[in-house]
Amino acid sequence: MKNKIYLGLLLIALIFHGSFIRVEAKQFDYKSPEFKAVAQQFACTCGCGQDHYECDPNTCNLTTEFKKDLVEMMNKGWDKDKIRKYYVNIYGEEILTSPEKSGFSLTAWVLPFVVLGAAGIAVFIIIRKWVKKKGTEEEVNEYENTENEVEEEILSSMIDEERKKYL
Amino acid sequence: MFLFANATIYIGLAIAIYTLLIITLGISTKNQKLVNSGKGGMIALFVCAALAMLSLFYLLATSQFQYEYVHDYTSSELPIIYKLTALWAGNAGSLLLWTFFLTLYMIMIAFSRKMRGNPMVPYISAILMANAVFFFFILGFVAKPFILLDTVPIEGKGLNPMLQNPGMIIHPVTLYLGYVGLAIPFAFAMAALLLKNVDDFWIKMTRRWTIIAWLFLSLGNIFGGQWAYVELGWGGYWAWDPVENASFMPWLTATAFLHSVMIQERKNMLKIWNISLIIVSYALTLFGTFLVRSGVLTSVHAFANSNLGLYFLIFMGVAVILALYVLMSRYNLLKRSAGEFNSFVSKESSFLVNNLLLVGAAFAVFWGTIFPLVSEAIRGTKVTVGLPFFNKVEAPILLSMMFVMAVCPLLAWQKSTVKNLKKNFMIPAILAVAGMVLMVLLGIQKAWAVIGYGVIILLLITHFLEFYRGVKARRKMTKETPIVALYRLMIRNRRRYGGYIVHLGIAFITMGIIGSQNYDLETMKTVSLGQSIELKDYRLNYERLDQKREGINDIVYADITVFRNGKKLGTYQPEKVFYGNWDQPSSEVAIISSLKEDLYIVLSAWEDDGKATFVVKINPMMNWLWFGSFMIVIGALFAVWNGKYGNVTPRYTGVRKEVS
Repeated sequence: MKNKIYLGLLLIALIFHGSFIRVEAKQFDYKSPEFKAVAQQFACTCGCGQDHYECDPNTCNLTTEFKKDLVEMMNKGWDKDKIRKYYVNIYGEEILTSPEKSGFSLTAWVLPFVVLGAAGIAVFIIIRKWVKKKGTEEEVNEYENTENEVEEEILSSMIDEERKKYL
Repeated sequence: MFLFANATIYIGLAIAIYTLLIITLGISTKNQKLVNSGKGGMIALFVCAALAMLSLFYLLATSQFQYEYVHDYTSSELPIIYKLTALWAGNAGSLLLWTFFLTLYMIMIAFSRKMRGNPMVPYISAILMANAVFFFFILGFVAKPFILLDTVPIEGKGLNPMLQNPGMIIHPVTLYLGYVGLAIPFAFAMAALLLKNVDDFWIKMTRRWTIIAWLFLSLGNIFGGQWAYVELGWGGYWAWDPVENASFMPWLTATAFLHSVMIQERKNMLKIWNISLIIVSYALTLFGTFLVRSGVLTSVHAFANSNLGLYFLIFMGVAVILALYVLMSRYNLLKRSAGEFNSFVSKESSFLVNNLLLVGAAFAVFWGTIFPLVSEAIRGTKVTVGLPFFNKVEAPILLSMMFVMAVCPLLAWQKSTVKNLKKNFMIPAILAVAGMVLMVLLGIQKAWAVIGYGVIILLLITHFLEFYRGVKARRKMTKETPIVALYRLMIRNRRRYGGYIVHLGIAFITMGIIGSQNYDLETMKTVSLGQSIELKDYRLNYERLDQKREGINDIVYADITVFRNGKKLGTYQPEKVFYGNWDQPSSEVAIISSLKEDLYIVLSAWEDDGKATFVVKINPMMNWLWFGSFMIVIGALFAVWNGKYGNVTPRYTGVRKEVS
């Protein structure tokens, strides 16, 4: 009899245990930062134009399955890079929300800064040329600073005002 | 009605072609009569466009479903305001709106008091008229607004629920006003070149136009962001979608233009650069339209796929090639600029850096937007370039931009000496660093946030100093009270102080962006009735799930009582709306807004037993973003306001021709 009770308790514990696990799995927070880091890497292909973190599982079946797979992998202890590699191997780079930082796609990341750098150098050279052109002439007055500029401006506007009054 | 409505389009096209030809002829034969006839044509064209708009408004308002456009975008139960706004819900109607604005701007220029007797007018009119011919051609043959269906349907397809939001009333209108507005400085620049006027008359004349176009473009983007924030249930406001990028690029180049023209005005330099910038800004508005209408890129904004994009691409190509040709043919005239720089460290140099960064940012956006096409063409792989890319690439560029913005006001024109720099920057720099240290101590430790807010502190201080010094200088001379001095100081130099107000607005927006991007919190939980969700200081009690009917729509809503630190804030109702004539339901979010943060609640799903799933988000500092936007409007309006002072019409000193 005692054994039966123990067995019963064990069974109940098992059932509850199972249900706890299930509840846990069901209650996985799809909006947690950990999940965001992983899911944000992948573009949803349902045509919503969003990533798998943003895409609403209630309107898109595709993302529901995808999210489940991601959670499984995360539970296995895979980190986001490993998961990314896994999907890129299957679907290619097209699945990612931003291009890889290698191969041809690296140009996507690098080119803006290369262009900016080159243009920066060009601007520097141009300013130097312009400054040099001026260089031989007399030095600029030391007192020329912002405060005087403001004062001058105010003065001229006041003169303008007076002029308008009398003319 | 059918005949009348179509007549407005086809007669409009005929008038547009006639006007373009007659003005061109008038210019070449120097015959004022012909030009005057063309001006008459412009008024007639405006009347045509206005009548076409009114016709479509009338058809939409009275639900005449025999018209394809009315049938495709409205239904009889739609509130009247959305019936009317459906005018710009589709390709044909939105292009009609565009055309209407174009003709409106056109007559505002041609008949403006300031431009009376100016020989540039016929040239500007002809250039804008060429645009109008293109648009009327499109309306007449490609995207026709007035097509009759074979049968008369009893009901229309309805308007996409996403578009049934106040955002729909204002976002497209402001955006188009901005897009079309950029055609004005472009036309002025081209007219000046054609007339071989290489002074800055065109810049001074169009300054106000450019700021207005810029303001509308800013508003268009901001309203779009606000709309996305409240309507899409996604909690964000900017997704770097190709179409958003398409309107952000001309905004960046127009901003660069607004700054670099100051160098041309002061130093008579950068003429070629300024003209190039305005050509690029104008071309980018057409490029944006090409992106939206062609379907070459996946986008939430995409209109129904059509070959319309191709026409825009061709038109853009022709416009750019012609503009470059004109620019090249006047290259020698423009090159003769007398200007020079006195020093590396000066306001002039900082404006160049500003231009470099803004145009660099525009290039980065452009490159990211077209990269999928480039990649597909070269490798055959269509990659996605999404939010993470743009955030990473744009953040450093735009933050550097903020830094330049912070430093620039305190740099002197001509030359800043070391002594000068020390005097001006010592205190702001120390305060900014102190602020950054304080932030780290208070727990704000993310690098982007600390650097970003540090730069903004610097910006706020330097701008405050600008106002402070101005007031001080004025009081020294006039002994006015500080308030009076501030007021008089500002209204006497509207452009400068308006500009500073816009800067402050941008600073507030940036604070909002940094806060909401770095410190947002989000959770998604399924709870039973009576249970609660906790996030940070908030507790959300799920009280009730119910259903109601509004018109033909079914609405499922949840009652949620929100507590913050134990204090009740109230009961809120996030909803899910199922439309009678639309497959996809949409979320109506509940937003509890405060200066510190927004609590954003989305009802995501539910089960029969009353369990429901909610997405709860905390978006910090969202109101700062909207407040900054408001300041931009105030600043821009302040700058263009027709005040008593400094409102001198620039004197035309260019070439005189016989016609005007």
